[in-house]
Amino acid sequence: MEKPAKGTVTSLSSLFPVEEVQEASKRVQDTISEHQKELDQVQNFVADNASLISLVQKLPEELHHDIMVPFGKAAFFPGRLIHTNEFLVLLGESYYAERTSKQTADLLKRRGKALESQVKSIKAVMQDLKAQASYFDATGAEVAEGLVEITEEYTEETSAEEVSKADPTNASEADNINALTEEEEFAKLMSKIDELEKEELAEESDEEDELEKEELAEESDEEDEGYSHMLSKLDELEKKELATESVSGSDEDYSSQHSFDQRHGHQLPNPTKQSKDEYPIIKELPSIQHAFPQELPKQFEGSNLQSVSEGKSPSDRSSALAKSTSAEKASVLPEVEENIEAEPQSQYKAFTGSIVEHTHNLETNPREQTIASSKSSTPQPSKPVSRFKMQRR
Amino acid sequence: MSSSTAMHRELQRELETKATDLSKLQKDIAKNHQVRKKYTIQLGENELVLKELDLLNEDANVYKLIGPVLVKQDLAEANANVRKRIDYMSAELKRLDATLQDLEEKQNSKKEAILKLQQRIQSLQAGKAKA
Repeated sequence: MEKPAKGTVTSLSSLFPVEEVQEASKRVQDTISEHQKELDQVQNFVADNASLISLVQKLPEELHHDIMVPFGKAAFFPGRLIHTNEFLVLLGESYYAERTSKQTADLLKRRGKALESQVKSIKAVMQDLKAQASYFDATGAEVAEGLVEITEEYTEETSAEEVSKADPTNASEADNINALTEEEEFAKLMSKIDELEKEELAEESDEEDELEKEELAEESDEEDEGYSHMLSKLDELEKKELATESVSGSDEDYSSQHSFDQRHGHQLPNPTKQSKDEYPIIKELPSIQHAFPQELPKQFEGSNLQSVSEGKSPSDRSSALAKSTSAEKASVLPEVEENIEAEPQSQYKAFTGSIVEHTHNLETNPREQTIASSKSSTPQPSKPVSRFKMQRR
Repeated sequence: MSSSTAMHRELQRELETKATDLSKLQKDIAKNHQVRKKYTIQLGENELVLKELDLLNEDANVYKLIGPVLVKQDLAEANANVRKRIDYMSAELKRLDATLQDLEEKQNSKKEAILKLQQRIQSLQAGKAKA
């Protein structure tokens, strides 16, 4: 069970040698510090500019100012600043212009804006560089740890496996819960699932219309109707069972649905849906056997066996998809067949194996149950294992 | 045997000359980059000046610092001068870009040639080792 199905393992250090990563990260750090210096300089300019603006605005408030005039490098002499509203402003490129205080302040403000845009651009560049540096650092750390990259082919069966794995534990936990509330919750869940499934069907049929040829599209239309019909029937069946069954039966049923519902949002739902459709049937068998050793089983075995026969047909169907559905629709509960066929049309190659597996189990399980009424635990572990074999093949 | 060693020596010499050429080219490119950077900065400054000159009143006094003295200039004249400078600098930048591209192409071809030479030398050495 622990082994991955298919996949490759490559160590990160073979992709990114440690020295190279360190060198790259160092280089990025260097450029970052360079940009930091530049940013500091520009920000100094901004501060200088702001103080200059305030000074220029303040000077004309007085008619004259007493100041110390710099004389050479080291000497000052006292002087007086007159013409406080006349400024000779360096425009750049050794051009000067005579301006008033107000005009100078405006000019300086425009310069301040240019400086601010510079600051912004430098900050953006630095953010980029920092992101790069953090990436390099993370990669470096991962390489140093000897991390490996595992790429595994995505097989839908894993989700079905998880459902089956999750079930037994959930069922044992759910034993304590009240039967009434469970029924309500179950009904809610089922309605939710139905909605989701209908949405998916609509999407699928759209895709099929585009992808498949005309006859297939026609089939899918029929199948849509048949599928929703089947869903409602399945619901009825399950609800009927719930109503009559004791807590243990509904428990397992509910939990399997529940775990499916959780998975529903995360993964591609198609195969899961199938396993879900079939799974409760598998689960119900043992539970019923336990709860009603002798009195009731006939009624339920009738329904269960019927549904088993539904499940059985897909194996024929999936192995011979080319057959036309119309002839076989008359057979016992054809809806499941249609359901199964509607999904494979879009991507049947990915999980036909799982369908075969399920039906295989379905075929063997009920017989074991009815003949020997063996323990419920025995058929269950065989399922994941056999499925696993299918994967490894 | 002697012919192969002579050939090997010749190839080595060729490689060396090519390598020096390449380093020269790279120096040129670096210089070009610096000049280009200087020009872009000056262009930015000139554009700022032009903007300010456009904002000035007609009767504003404009001076140009020539050496240690401020020389009074006509506003229109200053404006025309700055415009001329900007035109000149944009033309210069274009020219620099063209030469830079040219240099980079040359650099790439030199690199390829060097790589080929190295491969030839390696194959020669491998042949020698076998023989």
